[in-house]
Amino acid sequence: MNAIEIRDLSKSFRGMYAVDHLNMTVPVGAIYGFIGENGSGKSTTEKLICGHLVADSGSIKLFGKDFTDAGVRVRVGALIENAGCFPNSSVYQNLRMQTINLGLENPDEEIRRVLEIVRMEDNASLKFKKCSLGMKQRIGIAMALLGDPALLILDEPINGLDTDGMRIMREILVDITKNYGCTVLISSHILGELEKIATHYGIIRQGRMIMELSAEEMDSRAQVFVSLKTKDMQGAKALLRANFDTVREEDGYIRVYDVDDTAAIVDTLMKNGHIPSEIKKNKIGLEEYYVELMSEKEDK
Amino acid sequence: MTRELKFESPSFIQRLKGMLGVDFYRLFHTPLFYIFLAIAAIIPAMVSAMTMMPDQNGQTMEPLYSNVWQIVAASKSLYVIEGIADYANMNMVFIFGGIMVSIFIGHDYKSGYVKQLFTTHAKKQDYMISKTLACAFAMACMCITYFVGGTVAGLLVGYETDVNVGSLIIAILGKIIMSLGWASLYTFLNIIFRRYFGVSIASSFLFGTGILIIGVAAIVERLSLPASFLNIFLYGASVNANLSSGLGALIVCLLVSLVWAVIYNLAGTVILSKCDVY
Repeated sequence: MNAIEIRDLSKSFRGMYAVDHLNMTVPVGAIYGFIGENGSGKSTTEKLICGHLVADSGSIKLFGKDFTDAGVRVRVGALIENAGCFPNSSVYQNLRMQTINLGLENPDEEIRRVLEIVRMEDNASLKFKKCSLGMKQRIGIAMALLGDPALLILDEPINGLDTDGMRIMREILVDITKNYGCTVLISSHILGELEKIATHYGIIRQGRMIMELSAEEMDSRAQVFVSLKTKDMQGAKALLRANFDTVREEDGYIRVYDVDDTAAIVDTLMKNGHIPSEIKKNKIGLEEYYVELMSEKEDK
Repeated sequence: MTRELKFESPSFIQRLKGMLGVDFYRLFHTPLFYIFLAIAAIIPAMVSAMTMMPDQNGQTMEPLYSNVWQIVAASKSLYVIEGIADYANMNMVFIFGGIMVSIFIGHDYKSGYVKQLFTTHAKKQDYMISKTLACAFAMACMCITYFVGGTVAGLLVGYETDVNVGSLIIAILGKIIMSLGWASLYTFLNIIFRRYFGVSIASSFLFGTGILIIGVAAIVERLSLPASFLNIFLYGASVNANLSSGLGALIVCLLVSLVWAVIYNLAGTVILSKCDVY
């Protein structure tokens, strides 16, 4: 069973497609990284799943049921654009309202539980408007976590967070999928962070899903390269080009692509009198893969 | 971790209980409700005790009212008002109430909390019904504080207290019952203008003043229909509950309020279901 199954979903605003016949499959238990440029349709898709927008056509199924099923929707938590809290109410009051909305038994216990998860147990009495951006994002997550959600939909939850905030958010997301069995759909521009937690990816462009793949597939597609520096960069580059398929000079380094054997490169250089002053093995990350994929699409 | 995924559909009552619970929690835990209760008490007290109008000749100033209960309801059905004294009665609560409902619903949208509600509530009717009931309750409470404020001020000034007690009770109950119809209208208006906070307040104010009844009254007159025809409208039924009303006026209020509440709730539900919620 899939947590989210979208078929042929479209949504237009003033005749322009924001989501254009989109297909999407999010397996149960996944952390699904939803990637795309600004205006590519990520937020619109998420709003459609949450029932905030009305689709022109297509179908959305959540856990095999129609997304309008009240039983499924009560198990969906969302953080779309902002936490959706009343600024003059305290953190506790905002969470309390959501426990009432969801009809939860033991609301205080539930509020304590989610505040512990987001590391905000000491801030319950703070007015929401007095919270920092990072705290607001975490309160948004706490709101979404109330009522044991089976699916979390998070729109750019790490935007504007500092390094520590990002780390905490990352730990929270991994924690809730591992310990609470929650499926997470997360969109973010910060691909480096997403790469650390996502188990699946969906890449959207101009409202269309251009690729869906698992983290393992992404890993197998990611190019390996060795980057190095020598005194005679031009000579070394010519030498390596004669011995290896793809050699480029980028960012002040000579990069030898698709070669896993660093020793073979060092051996070739040393035999010809080039002593590497710096050498390291790298892998193309999600960000570079995404940029490359986008530029390929643009060329087409 | 794997776990069994169970999806039990909450019943209509469970859903409504959740949504109503949030609205009443908000109502009692934010200053808005209490501010409007105070406004509803202070305004009639001020109007009753402090407003002076020129006499028939325009020579001397005299109090607006001579009887304590004139601030509660008019002495007869005045569909189209002739002066401030006809206007300043418990129907004013429907103007204050309109503004309160606009702010109450507007905050749902401005804060973004509406996203939490619509994510977990797939059925849009829950929102309409809950808002209507919570706001009707708030307006009914405002009717009571209005009554208290107006009466205390009138008694302190020393106005006459002669009244048909039965009609007075019917007038007050009628207006309290009409709160449901008015709350549904304002909820509907706020759903239509949900993206425009200022417009929703202005439209609620406009409808609350009952000014639109003038146009309807003109049509009724032109068609030679009885003036009581205006009772099918919220404003008409509201002014029909006055200091000379009988039990029939109360039944009219009940029917009109209920019918309009159902109509506005259905219309609001359709809009929310067919259109983007924000």
